[in-house]
Amino acid sequence: MLFNSAAFLVFFPVVTTAYFLLPHRFRWMLLLAASCYFYMAFIPKYILILAVTITVDYFAGLGLEKFEGRKKRWVLMASILTNIGMLAFFKYFNFANENLALLAKFIGWNYPIHSLAIILPIGLSFHTFQSLSYTIEVYRGHQKAERHFGYLALYVMYYPQLVAGPIERPQNILHQLHTEQRFEYPRVTDGLKRMAWGMFKKIVVADRMVLFVNPVYSDPTNHHGPALVFATLAFAIQIYCDFSGYSDIALGSAQVMGVKLMKNFDHPYFARSISEFWRRWHISLSTWFRDYVYIPLGGNRVARPRWMFNLFITFLISGLWHGADWTYIIWGALHGFYLVVFALTEPFWRRLSALTRLDRLPRLKIVISTLTTFFLVTFAWIFFRAASLAEALYIVRHLGSGWRSYLVQSGHVLQEGFQNIANLGPYSIVSAIFTIFTPLTEESRTVIALTAFALMILIVIEVLQYRGNLLEELHQKPVYLRRIVYASLIAVILIFGTSYASVQQAFIYFQF
Amino acid sequence: MSSDVRTFFVSTAQVILLTVVIITITFLAIKPDPDHYFAGSLLHLHLLENTPSPRIILVGGSNVSFGIDAELMQRTLGIPVINDGLHAGLGLAPLRELEEYIHAGDEIIISLEYDLFANQDVLNGDPAFLSDWIEYSPRRVKYLSNPWEEAPGIYAIMLQRKVNRKVNTYLFGGSLNEVRDIFVGTKYDLNGDFIGHLQETSTNRRKIPATSYPVSGLQDDIFVFLENFNRIAREKGARVYFEAPASRQSNCKATGKAQMADFFKTFAERSSVPVLTPFDDVCLPNKYFFDTEYHLNAQGRELRTKRLIENWIKVTTALK
Repeated sequence: MLFNSAAFLVFFPVVTTAYFLLPHRFRWMLLLAASCYFYMAFIPKYILILAVTITVDYFAGLGLEKFEGRKKRWVLMASILTNIGMLAFFKYFNFANENLALLAKFIGWNYPIHSLAIILPIGLSFHTFQSLSYTIEVYRGHQKAERHFGYLALYVMYYPQLVAGPIERPQNILHQLHTEQRFEYPRVTDGLKRMAWGMFKKIVVADRMVLFVNPVYSDPTNHHGPALVFATLAFAIQIYCDFSGYSDIALGSAQVMGVKLMKNFDHPYFARSISEFWRRWHISLSTWFRDYVYIPLGGNRVARPRWMFNLFITFLISGLWHGADWTYIIWGALHGFYLVVFALTEPFWRRLSALTRLDRLPRLKIVISTLTTFFLVTFAWIFFRAASLAEALYIVRHLGSGWRSYLVQSGHVLQEGFQNIANLGPYSIVSAIFTIFTPLTEESRTVIALTAFALMILIVIEVLQYRGNLLEELHQKPVYLRRIVYASLIAVILIFGTSYASVQQAFIYFQF
Repeated sequence: MSSDVRTFFVSTAQVILLTVVIITITFLAIKPDPDHYFAGSLLHLHLLENTPSPRIILVGGSNVSFGIDAELMQRTLGIPVINDGLHAGLGLAPLRELEEYIHAGDEIIISLEYDLFANQDVLNGDPAFLSDWIEYSPRRVKYLSNPWEEAPGIYAIMLQRKVNRKVNTYLFGGSLNEVRDIFVGTKYDLNGDFIGHLQETSTNRRKIPATSYPVSGLQDDIFVFLENFNRIAREKGARVYFEAPASRQSNCKATGKAQMADFFKTFAERSSVPVLTPFDDVCLPNKYFFDTEYHLNAQGRELRTKRLIENWIKVTTALK
């Protein structure tokens, strides 16, 4: 079930109302049944994968508490192999097989294994990692084994974060599920506000960006550099609003029921370095890789070359986690490369900053570092979004093409606009600006104008959130003003949301 | 009930109420556009309600509104003729509307584009077109294929399109004529014929691609609908005929003569509605087409109308 579907508009209030009406001892059953229903709205039979994972990890948890030494390690290995095995089979088998077949063809071998016709289960990478973190934490002694099968199942399957995270840790969520939650007005309404904001980001902004991204990325060879750059920038906004919008809805809906999920996004495009970006983007995944891959590899407490290797390999695996395709691997590798280069050249940048006296202009320094980080991240998104490696490389090679003629033509259009002011008024300038944008977007001026309006709301709210607690500030305002703000936000979602007008867009991260 | 729950219900009710007020005001403040091509549907409705029977009613997509001259038919035959053709994107909704206005003695000539026979989605109508059409007469919502299921989505789209149109009007300096071109809702004659294209001097306004017509894989639903429509019309004392849609020679050629013939053969086998157009008259020379493979220009419209009059007389005489 999609959060942005009509079905969820019925599902959520029904489940939440039933949750608060039921005595605490029955609530886990309700939430588990609701989570199964939520998941089975996609491909029902894939619930069996979750059943196997949960059952194995349930007994693994008990075994990890019971056994010590080698036996304990064997139990952990069994759990890891089961989880990773599922992931490998459903997500990576065809990718590995196709590459082996290509390699065999290259060296002239007869390769007999055919690819399988399987559809990737929704959110497989998310719930597999969440389940894995349970057994690892029990193994490390940070978490007691869960003896109630239902609660462990609920920990893995809790519907707000089942299909696209945040990837939770058992220490954070299991005890919250056991605790009796009461209906508390401030918490419930804050959760609902968060959900509304997430819906705005998804339906009004992200789905609108699709109109600019898809036409170009579905056929990049037919577009010049300016259009490729514009579409890539639009995708940077789309993926942020799509995924952080999903996370807001997930956090908000859990908050309504008294469960505080971990923060997944913290204004990542305000980051001043790539490492800061990863402390702000998909936080639950980056901390997962930090805790279970990077630190076990030695983290930064090793020799410098090994540290660089650890950084790079962690991001390479992160790329592979996102998708079984070379584009994702290169996307991950690119981020690893950025981090390694910045780690190696940090003294140089510090010296350069002192030399150019940028240190004395801290605001300018912030603007430069924020923009640099944003453009590096956006460049990497090309590989994330492109349909194939060949198309990604085509886009990279042609980012600089066609600018001259585009700028010359735009200059003429603008000049004409200014010349017509006397006859047509300021409208001639407005018209010229839209004419300049049209070759980039292939969209009507109405779509461009409404997108600009949606982006303006997004940027204002994001900046206000970044500077302080917006909800706290809003609470200080008179009641009538708050009601008008919330009602206006809902009205804007209903009026400007694109899901009703076009095909409903699934969340990007569902595919992972 | 705890005070928290009470406060929650009160504040939620207030927010919902305010949202409803904002949306209602937006909805009511933006009136239907009198210049939209679909504004002609109000004239059609007026004609259906007020023209006395017996009468001839022409219905179908834009191949009817652009390509049959009801005024000429009325002059020639001496009985009232209404052109109720509008847009194929509305699917069968205009025919469902027409069902209500059929009276004894009415002669109904249906001319549906091939796409409606071959594609279930086209048959159900495009939500954006349907929302524009319903905006002119809200009770039309009952003519949707699944009113209860589709209505909320249609009204949501209508709201968005109203706002889009308003924004569009501001951006175009108060007039949408730049985007409307000839497709303006005021360009209909008193019989409901669209006449916006008749002033165009060129016969071929733009290059029309010689794509094939979708004449295979015909849907069961359309024949079920036509049979039902025919039955209701007969019960009311009216008669129903089928006229081939305006078909362009090059597109007919791309489709294949055998395939075109198969379409009409299948139609005759699966429907009790008599076909007025002899097969040899179905495809018209390219020079008679205006801007699409279904839109006739002034000369084509005249030729097709004259043939239709002859064929209708022949068939009705034979039926007598």
